[in-house]
Amino acid sequence: MSMSTTPLTPEIVSHEGNAMVLSMGPQHPSTHGVLQIMLEIEGETILKAEPEIGYLHTGIEKTAENLFWSQAQTVIERMDYLAPSSNAYCYCLAVEQLLGLTDRIPERARQIRVLQAELTRVASHCVWLGTHGIDLGALSAFFYCFDMREKILDLQEAAGGARMHPNYLRVGGVQADLPSGFMEQLDALMEMFPGRMRDLRGLLQSNPILQDRLVDVGIMTQEEAQDWSITGPGLRATGIAYDVRRAFPYGGYENYEFDIPTRTEGDSYARFLVRLDEMEQSMRIVRQVRDSLKPGPYAVDDTKVMPPPKETIALSMEALIHHFKIMTEGFRVPPGDVYQAVEGPRGELGYYVVSDGGNRPYRVRTRPPSMYNLQALKGLAPGNLIADLVVIIGSLDPVFGEVDR
Amino acid sequence: MPSTQTPPLTGTAIDPPALRPPIDDAAIERIELADVHARLAELKREGFTLLLDVGAVDYPQRTPRFDVVYHLLNLRKTQRVRLLCGVQGNEPKLPTATDLWKSADWAEREIYDLFGINFEGHPDLRRIQMPNDWEGHPLRKDYPLRGPARERSPRPVFALKSNVQAGTPPSGRTLEALQRQIAGVRGEDPSK
Repeated sequence: MSMSTTPLTPEIVSHEGNAMVLSMGPQHPSTHGVLQIMLEIEGETILKAEPEIGYLHTGIEKTAENLFWSQAQTVIERMDYLAPSSNAYCYCLAVEQLLGLTDRIPERARQIRVLQAELTRVASHCVWLGTHGIDLGALSAFFYCFDMREKILDLQEAAGGARMHPNYLRVGGVQADLPSGFMEQLDALMEMFPGRMRDLRGLLQSNPILQDRLVDVGIMTQEEAQDWSITGPGLRATGIAYDVRRAFPYGGYENYEFDIPTRTEGDSYARFLVRLDEMEQSMRIVRQVRDSLKPGPYAVDDTKVMPPPKETIALSMEALIHHFKIMTEGFRVPPGDVYQAVEGPRGELGYYVVSDGGNRPYRVRTRPPSMYNLQALKGLAPGNLIADLVVIIGSLDPVFGEVDR
Repeated sequence: MPSTQTPPLTGTAIDPPALRPPIDDAAIERIELADVHARLAELKREGFTLLLDVGAVDYPQRTPRFDVVYHLLNLRKTQRVRLLCGVQGNEPKLPTATDLWKSADWAEREIYDLFGINFEGHPDLRRIQMPNDWEGHPLRKDYPLRGPARERSPRPVFALKSNVQAGTPPSGRTLEALQRQIAGVRGEDPSK
């Protein structure tokens, strides 16, 4: 262990006694991306942990200020690359509030968005569960998780044309109606889901090795969770049933029945169980949307915001002009500021959007749940073993596209 | 026929938040710089136990230049509050909120990094997203989108036999120079 390199954090090197400094990451496989943690350790025990982020900083907020409102959504989807539709959903809701379109979104568009948001949550939790298992040495669950995620990505591809970043949700509705064959694919997924969850619970939840590793590791009290601004499964694992979908309903969530899974232990195992239960609740919402989906328009009837359907362009001069205007100079948004939050897979995902009346966002500030959850590592890691740090990172489920933006 | 004047596409509002009544479900308060820490502490005592986010916005045409925006959440009453605090553009500084919420740490570091606003009393105020030796604050409106021009690292020049034969030397090298180089490598006399 070389001590002569320039320290990233000056105070962490001022160690005493037998302590030494260990740099974990940014290429460590268990850091789920590009996280570096400067650890002060004594033996295997962590005395202090200082996460260093920014390795994936791509300036998305700055880029978004220089794109049209609709173009900015494409980079915003790339923040949380495991749940792109959640980001797009939140951004669209915020811009619609500024445009005053919130109450004019057709029912079918609202339902399709809820469907996509819940599917993307399940897909994101599939990645978390698979990689969390790998961190602990449980390889088989990874294949079951990614197989199920692939089915959801197929659905995203069918709807939006791309697996990872479909850009399907748009300001004013969705980009196109659900394609034929989508419902059959969705039914196949819903049929497979309960059995697959049973398998995964059998492989992991009741596995004594996994329980040994997770139970009582990284315990967070309710006060600590609030102090660190933890939201999402991390907060619910401490017993606080805060869910944006229930507390500040948006996009029609008040019409669906679902439970908010909570635990009281606040340890890594509680966060694990909360997420597993959440996947089932999400599929419960998906089933309700599936059963209640009625034909109708899939986007708001406002050609100043939503480009007219492609097939009308050759028939109507007006449609052609609207299409041309939107494609070449975007649409304008009245001045003002708004904070919109949704319940993303990692917690409260919020956008503080400011418009100065132009065709580009003036400012898009993200409230990144991953960043706040990861920050709590500073409080959770000390006193644990290095091997437990891997567990704690996994149970916080950070996505570095969102932490660094 | 005179062409119709198209309106300018950039926005003109200098202070957008002041132009509109609140349209989301948060109560909005505008706070003077001197009162911001006391008000945050008071709100925390009232039950706004979660500091959801601290963000900043740059309005270069306006005095004060910056807005620092606090989003607070009351879990018991499910209420939101948004605190906007104007900060002057010349040596901008603000009292830290890290003594009230630990979560303010990274958010304030990010504002320091990307806007250059100092938080007095912050225990560890240094850059978080940009490299430690970076100059400038990228999210300020006067910071260019592409950043400062930087020297490109020199590209190695390879003298390939196929390049020479095809008469397509790498940039900056003449065909004769390449032929001399190849001959030198082979130990031949370049004059032949």
